[in-house]
This record gives sequence, structure tokens and C-alpha cells, in this order.
Amino acid sequence: MIALEGVRKSFGRLEALRGVTFAVPDGHITGLLGPNGAGKTTALRIVYGVLRPDEGRATVDGVDLARDRLEAQRRLGVLPHAQGLYARLTAREHILYFGKMHGMSGAPLERRADELVQLLGMQDFAHRRTEGFSQGQKVKVALARALVHGPRNVVLDEPTNGLDVAATRQVRALLMQLREQGHCILFSSHVMQEVSALCDRVVVIARGLVVAEGTPDDLRRQTGRDGLEDAFVAAIGSEEGLA
Amino acid sequence: MRWPRSFWVVFSKEVREGMRDRRALVAALFFPFLGPALLVVMLHLVSQPSRQADELGVDLPVAGREHAPNLVAFLEQGARVVEAPPDAEEAVRRGDVEVVVIIPPDFGKALRSGRPAPIRLVTDESRQQPRPSAAVAERLLSAWSRQTGAQRLVLRGVHPTVVEPLAVEHVDVSTPASRAASLLATIPFFLVMALFTGGMPVAIDATAGERERQSLEPLFAAPLPRSALVAAKMCGASVFSALALVETAVGFGLVPLALPATRIGFSMHLDPWMLARILALCIPMVLLASALMVMLAARARNFRAAQTTLSLLMLVPALPGMALGLMSARPPPSLYAIPFLGEQMIITRLLRAEGVSLAQVGLSTAATLGAAALVAAFAARTFERGQPLFDA
Repeated sequence: MIALEGVRKSFGRLEALRGVTFAVPDGHITGLLGPNGAGKTTALRIVYGVLRPDEGRATVDGVDLARDRLEAQRRLGVLPHAQGLYARLTAREHILYFGKMHGMSGAPLERRADELVQLLGMQDFAHRRTEGFSQGQKVKVALARALVHGPRNVVLDEPTNGLDVAATRQVRALLMQLREQGHCILFSSHVMQEVSALCDRVVVIARGLVVAEGTPDDLRRQTGRDGLEDAFVAAIGSEEGLA
Repeated sequence: MRWPRSFWVVFSKEVREGMRDRRALVAALFFPFLGPALLVVMLHLVSQPSRQADELGVDLPVAGREHAPNLVAFLEQGARVVEAPPDAEEAVRRGDVEVVVIIPPDFGKALRSGRPAPIRLVTDESRQQPRPSAAVAERLLSAWSRQTGAQRLVLRGVHPTVVEPLAVEHVDVSTPASRAASLLATIPFFLVMALFTGGMPVAIDATAGERERQSLEPLFAAPLPRSALVAAKMCGASVFSALALVETAVGFGLVPLALPATRIGFSMHLDPWMLARILALCIPMVLLASALMVMLAARARNFRAAQTTLSLLMLVPALPGMALGLMSARPPPSLYAIPFLGEQMIITRLLRAEGVSLAQVGLSTAATLGAAALVAAFAARTFERGQPLFDA
């Protein structure tokens, strides 16, 4: 369960978020949809605690990030917008490093790493240093390290960006699997096909405000449009920045 | 997760990654030997002339000795007169000998008739290094000339002092030991350089480098106290800084082996006990240097900017140490409270076998550790706000 309440955030004179409120329930995949520059990444960064809101609050399972950032972050698995890896560490070492940061150690951590290597199909490159990895391999490593501690809540910023079809399908399958297990999943995208293929719930954000929220069906009803794409455009008020 | 564990997880990863970084290893392992190597070369150059001039006496090649036995006898009082090489000018030009005195056959005849007796002094003025035997030759010849002139004046009933209105006396108090000891002042400078160059690649890589490769954001999203994150990165850089430092110190410890004391004319106090004390003195500097580098690199716009900033930073503490070498007056005690300067002053005193008080060490160590803590606290605050991630 992730929630933003009245969150405002400015960078200098630019108001990135102008009072954003939405909740992400467990057992669902929630898509944060909006054109480029709408404030998706800023909203997610506030959720996973690398940015602090100017006003309002963000909670994870009811834990306020401003009060107890570490406890909230423990409950999160994060695939940030930036998925940089350490070129001189192997894929598996990345998983172990983040597992240790989440307080895991020893045989349970090793077992969990092996499990993730299996789950994400990383057997071929698990013991290679990440220098020269393909985009798909990089995303898998980043996903594995985000999920190493089995977080209840998973936040992903444009997870399929730059992936080929096969890798995209793998990521989608993984997200659906997590949903079956009752996780709370929030991911951002500016790709409508992806949102419509995956999401139970959609939060549409534009110019720093939530302009629509609900199931895809709700959205179609709210806007009076049949196609999801038309519904988005109607909600946002323009076609700019969508794909 | 508790603070020490967070610190340890990040710290051990920084060290492991650094050990796999060739650039970091080269900086930590290769550059430190430059200082000691340079010192050996300089000591060698400094000790050479003095060895000849002061300990063994000057060799003075003289050609045509049979033409002026009296003069040669005089020269032998101040130098060791040796056989001149066959082609004097060529030998001097090649640098085989510094000087050749050539006494022509008509020397005796000219002298007896009271005309200025011809004598040739072959030297190469283009050579920069000191030429003690040339100087000795000139001094002896002019002394003999004065003495002979004086005798002539006396024969003619004139007192010799009439033609000697000045009595200049040269007093050179430099000894080979003091000349070489001035070079020891470069040791603290090289130590400070080593601890900066050793830690720099890791300090940059762990901050500006991580941001540039976009691996800092996942780290900030992890449940780590930011102060532990900062401390781990600073200590990671410290490991490589200390590595370079130890190597430099060991290198300096090897210098006396390369140049025995009998050759440079004095013994250097660079035994293991001295090195251990110097290294202990350097620990606060290692921490402060790493803290400064991590703090500044985290605020730099990018990798390149961080490199530029840190290269300049390195000169700041090194310069006072250089000035110290030129400073002859007794420094006021308050200077020991200046980080880097205090340590360099103490190390210099140790090397010169001058006394070091506990108060001096305490003041300098406390000041440097205090500064390191301040810098670390400041960096932790900027990390807490997430600044290194976005505000660059």
C-alpha cells in the first residue's frame, strides 16, 4: 500500500507536482501514466525517498517517509529511472550487495540470489561483470536487486524502456506474478499499450496534477470515450508527450 | 538495518570495487614511488661534489709539472696533484675532469725575468653543477700569485699590504649534511601528495562517478542512513589513500639503503620506528583528505569537473609544506593547529631529529580530526537532502 497525500514539489520556479493525491492498493498493478515532464518520476522519487516533498506526505504501508525513511524504504523494491550498475561487479554481486543493504546475509541471501537468477533467466551472465551488458541484461540485474529482499511494495520507473519485445514480455510476466502474490505494484509509463496490457488501475498525471484515476473502464466512462487511448488524450487534454 | 552494518556493507563494496579498478590501483601503488626515487636522485647529485671536495680532497690535473716545481709544491698543499690527460681541452669538454692546469715550458723563464708568467686553466663554464676542483685551482693559483708578488715587493722595499686594501675572508658553514638535510624537507610534501593521489580515483568514482553512471539513485533508494553512506565512501577512499601513504613511507625508508650514510655525509633518521611514527601522524590527514575529496567530488558537476577540483585541492595543503622548507624562523605554536601544515611541521622536526612535544602532536591531531569530522558532517547533511543526486 503506497499513498501520496497533497504532495507538492518545486525545483526552483518549476512546479513539478502541484498537490498530488493517490493511493496504490495491494494485489493490484497500478500504472502512473502521463506525458513526458508530467511529474511521474518526481512522484516516484518521493515515494522511494530520494526526494522530499515541499508539502504533503508519502507513506508506504502507512509508514511516513518523512518520519521513518529507512522503515518505509525497507518495505519497497525500487527500479529507479536511473538503473546504473557497477561495471566492476558481477550481476550476482549486485544482488548480494543490495540484499546486504536490506539486512540479509549468509545462506538465505545466497539462496535468494540463486532464485532471482533463475526467475529472471540470468544464468548465462550472473557471474559476469556488468560492463558491456545489453539493455535487457541491465534491466534484469536492476530488477533482481530491487526484488532481492522480497518487498511487499514494488515501484518501477519506466521498467520496459529500451527493452526488446522478448525482454518486455518477461518483465510483464514478472509483474503479473508479483500481483498474484499480493504485492502492491506501482509503475510509470508513457506507453499506453503497456498500461492497458498490464494495469488494473490507472492514475493519469499531467502538468503536476492527477487528472484521472480508476480502472481503465472507469476512465473510459469518465471521459465518455470508447478507446483507452482517446480516454487518455481526453483526460490529459492534449496528445503531447504520449506514445 | 543498524548504522555499523550499513557502513560496513557499503565500505566493503567500495574497497572491493576499488581493488578491481586499475586506475585506482595505479594511483595507489605506482605514483608513491616517485617521491622516494626523486629524493635518491637529488641526494645523489647533492652529495657528489661534497664527497670529492670535503672528504677525499680535490684531484688537480696539472700538465708540465717539470716546468714549475715550486708552484707544484705549493699546489700540493691544497690539492692532490695528478697527471693531466693528454688532450686537456677535450677531456674537460667531455667532462672527464673539471679542470686542467697547464704550465708551459717558458713559465720559469718568464717568472725569472719578472714578466707575468703564462699559465693556462682549462675549464668548462657551461657546466651548471659545482666545480670544486676548478675553484680550488683558481684559489691556489691566485694565492701563489699574491704570495710571489708580495715577495717581490718586499725585495723592492715596499710593504705587501699596500697592494692589498681588502682582506676578504670566505666562511662557508654549509656541510654536506646540512645541504642534504634541506632535501628532507620534501618528504612531508611527498607524503601529503601521496595520500591525496592515492584516494582520489576512489573518492571520485564513489561520488561523481556513481552519479554519472546513474548508480547513485538505487543506493539512495536503499534503506541506509545517509551518514553511513558518506562515511563508508570516505573510509573507502581512505583505504587507498593509506595504501599510497604506506608505500611512500616505505619507499623513503629504502632511500638510506640506496645511498649509504658515508656517501651522503650524514645519516637519515628513517628507521622503521621513525616511519611508524610518521605514518601514525598521517592518519588524521588521510581521513581529512578523503573527507574533503568525497565532499567536493559529490558536489562537482561531473566526473571531469571532480578531477579538476580535486587536483587543485591537492595543491592547497602541499604548498604550506613547500613554504616550510624555506621558512627558517621558528614557527609560532598556533601554526600546529592548521591541518596538514601542523603534521608537516612535526614530521620535518622528527626527520631533523628535533624535539617534538606531546602538545604539538595533540594540537595538530585534534585540529585535523576535528576538521575531518566537520567535513564529514557537512557531507552527510548534503547527502541527507539528496543533493549529490540532483543538485549537481
